[in-house]
Amino acid sequence: MSSKQDIIKNLHRSSKLIFPMPEITVEAVKFDDPVAGFLEISRFVGGDAVVLNEGDDINALIRSLYPDAEKIASNLPEITIASFNPDETDDPHNLNGVELAIVKGELGVAENGCVWIPQNVRQKALYFISENLVIILDKNKIVNNMHEAYEYVAGNGDYGFGVFISGPSKTADIEQALVIGAHGAKSVRVIIGNLS
Amino acid sequence: MSTKHAKAAQRFISNREQEQWHNETLWFVRQKRDNMTMRIPEWEKLRDLAAKIKTHTIDDLIHYLETFSEAAESNGAIVHWAKDAQEHNEIVYGILKQHQVKKLVKSKSMLTEECLLNPYLIERGIEVVESDLGERILQLMGEHPSHIVMPAIHKKREEVGKLFEEKMDSEKGNSDPTYLTHTARKYLRNEFLTADAAMTGANFGIAQTGEVVVCTNEGNADMGTSLSKLHIVSMGIEKIIPDLASLSVFVRLLARSATGQPSTTYTSHYRRPIEGGEMHIVIVDNGRSSIQNTTGRDQILRCIRCGACMNTCPVYRRSGGYSYTYFIPGPIGINLGMLKSPKQHSDNLSACSLCFSCNNVCPAKIDLAGQIYRWRQQLDSFHKASTSKKLISQGMTFIFNRPDLYRVLLKMAPLINRLPRFLVYNRLNAWGYGRELPRFANESFNSMWRKGKIQKDNQ
Ligand code: SF4
Repeated sequence: MSSKQDIIKNLHRSSKLIFPMPEITVEAVKFDDPVAGFLEISRFVGGDAVVLNEGDDINALIRSLYPDAEKIASNLPEITIASFNPDETDDPHNLNGVELAIVKGELGVAENGCVWIPQNVRQKALYFISENLVIILDKNKIVNNMHEAYEYVAGNGDYGFGVFISGPSKTADIEQALVIGAHGAKSVRVIIGNLS
Repeated sequence: MSTKHAKAAQRFISNREQEQWHNETLWFVRQKRDNMTMRIPEWEKLRDLAAKIKTHTIDDLIHYLETFSEAAESNGAIVHWAKDAQEHNEIVYGILKQHQVKKLVKSKSMLTEECLLNPYLIERGIEVVESDLGERILQLMGEHPSHIVMPAIHKKREEVGKLFEEKMDSEKGNSDPTYLTHTARKYLRNEFLTADAAMTGANFGIAQTGEVVVCTNEGNADMGTSLSKLHIVSMGIEKIIPDLASLSVFVRLLARSATGQPSTTYTSHYRRPIEGGEMHIVIVDNGRSSIQNTTGRDQILRCIRCGACMNTCPVYRRSGGYSYTYFIPGPIGINLGMLKSPKQHSDNLSACSLCFSCNNVCPAKIDLAGQIYRWRQQLDSFHKASTSKKLISQGMTFIFNRPDLYRVLLKMAPLINRLPRFLVYNRLNAWGYGRELPRFANESFNSMWRKGKIQKDNQ
C-alpha cells in the first residue's frame, strides 16, 4: 500500500460528521479614500508610497528618489532610465548587484500596504535580489482589504508565481530590534499614478 | 515533586535580568498584536470564520488533500506522501541525491525541525544552510528554536556579535543589530547564490488551485526559490485550506497575531516550478491523521503557528522555550507534545496556570487551556500524577468529609504563623519557593459569623 493510501485510510471520513463550510462574508474595513489609506499604512510598514501627479514624468520622479543608481533593471517600455532589460538574462544569478528594479504591481491593498505582483518579469529573482525596488501601481486599482484582493486574484488569470509585497525586507531576529534590509530589497517605493 | 519543566524553568529564572527582558519583550509583542486587532472591528468574526473553515477542512481532509494534490500535479509540481518523519527525510534526500545537490538553502520550517531533517541530510554529506536570520544564528550555535516565530528570542546581541566575529568575520565588539543583520545579509547572499536547491515550509496549501503560500518578512524563502532550479516544499497535511477566499481570512489573522504587523512583507504564492526547474511538494502525516480522528483533540490541527499563545502565556514568558520537553513550547507545544507522547511530555502540563489567556488570542480559537486541563485529569492513567499532590488531595477529601475535624484544624491553622521558618519553608513545601505564604487570620470567617461579629452594611 502506498503512503498516500495509508494516510488516507487513517483519516476518518464520515460524511455525517463533517462540519459545514461557513459562508465567507465579512463586513471588512473599508476606506473612504483607499489611496490615502494605502499611503498611510505604507509609511507605517516602511514602504513609503509616493503619488505621481498628473503631468509629472515618472522617470524624473524615480531618478529623484534614487539619484545615484546606475544598474537599473526594468522590462517596462516607458521606463527610459533603465540601464538594461532583465528579461534578456537566462540566469537569475546575473541579477545580483542590480541597484534598482522597476516593476509593475497589479493591485494595492489599503488595509496593509500590500501590492500584488503576479510574475511579470522573466526572472522572479528580480523582485528580491535588487537592492531597491520600485513598484508602479495604478491608483484606480487599490482595494480596501484582503478579501477584495483575493477575490481579484482568484478571478484574474493564472500565475505560476505571485507575491504580495508590503515594504522592504526586514527582520527583528536580534533582540527584537527592527532592521530593514534582511535578504530582499532594502527599500521599496510604490509609485501610485493614474495609469488607466 | 517538581516536573522537568519546573526544574528547567528554575535555571532560566536564575538569570533574573534575562528573564525579565524575555518576559517584557514578549509581552510587548502581545501588545502590538492587541493594537492591530483593535483596528479591525471584524476581528472576532475573522477568528470565528478561521475556526470554522479549519474545522470543516480537517473533517473533510481526505477530499481536500486529493483536490490539492490533483491541482498541484496539473500545475506541474511533483507530489510526494510521507507517513512519518523517516519517510519525509528519505524522500527529501532522494530528490537531492537525484539532482546531485551539494548545498541546500532552507527557509524556516517547523516541520523539518519536527522530522530532524538537518542532521539526517548533513550525515549524508549535504550542506544545509538555514537562511532565516534567527534560524541561522541558532544553526551556527548548534541550538534549536526556543519560539516558533522568533526562534532566537533567548539570545542577546552580544552573543550574536561574538558568533559573527568567529563565523562571518565581523568587527570585533560590534553588536549593533543593524550592523550584524547587514553582515549576515552579505554572508547569506553568497549562500543563496551558490546553493543548488531551496527548501521551504508552507503556511498554507490551497486545495482549489494546488498552490503553496509562504509568508516571510526577510524574503529568504524567495531568495532561495528564485535562484535555484529545485524547490522542495515540506507541508503537514493540516496546512490545507479550501480556496483563496479562505486564505484571505487567514492572511488577515496571521501576521497581526504573530508579530502585530498588518501583513508579513512577503506573501508568496508558488503554483508552478521555475522556468526549466522542478517543484516538489512533500505532504507529511507524522501522527497528524491520528489527531484528526480523535474527537475533541482534532481542534489542535487548526493551529496556524502564529505563536500568539506563547507571547501571551505568563509561564512561557517567564520560563523560556527550552524549559519544555517538546520542541514546540508554550500552550500549543504542551498540547502537541501530549499528542505525540503523553509519557514523554506530560511534565509540560505543569507549565500552565489555567489563566486561559491563550484561548483569547488564538486566531483559530483553539481551546488550548481547556485541552491542557483535560490532559491533567488523565495524568493518573499514565502514572504521571504527582504523588505529593495526590496525597494532599486525598487528605483534603478526608478532611472535607469530616466537618468537626475541619473546624478543629481551622482553629489551629493560625499556629502556622508562629512556626519557625525552617518548618514551613523547606523541601516538602514546593509552594514555599520564591514566595511567602499568606498569614492565616486569627479567627475564621465562619466563627466570626457565628459570634455575630460580621455586620451587615446598611448604608
Ligand atoms: S495555537 Fe493558536 S495562538 Fe498558538 S500558535 Fe497555534 S494558532 Fe497561534
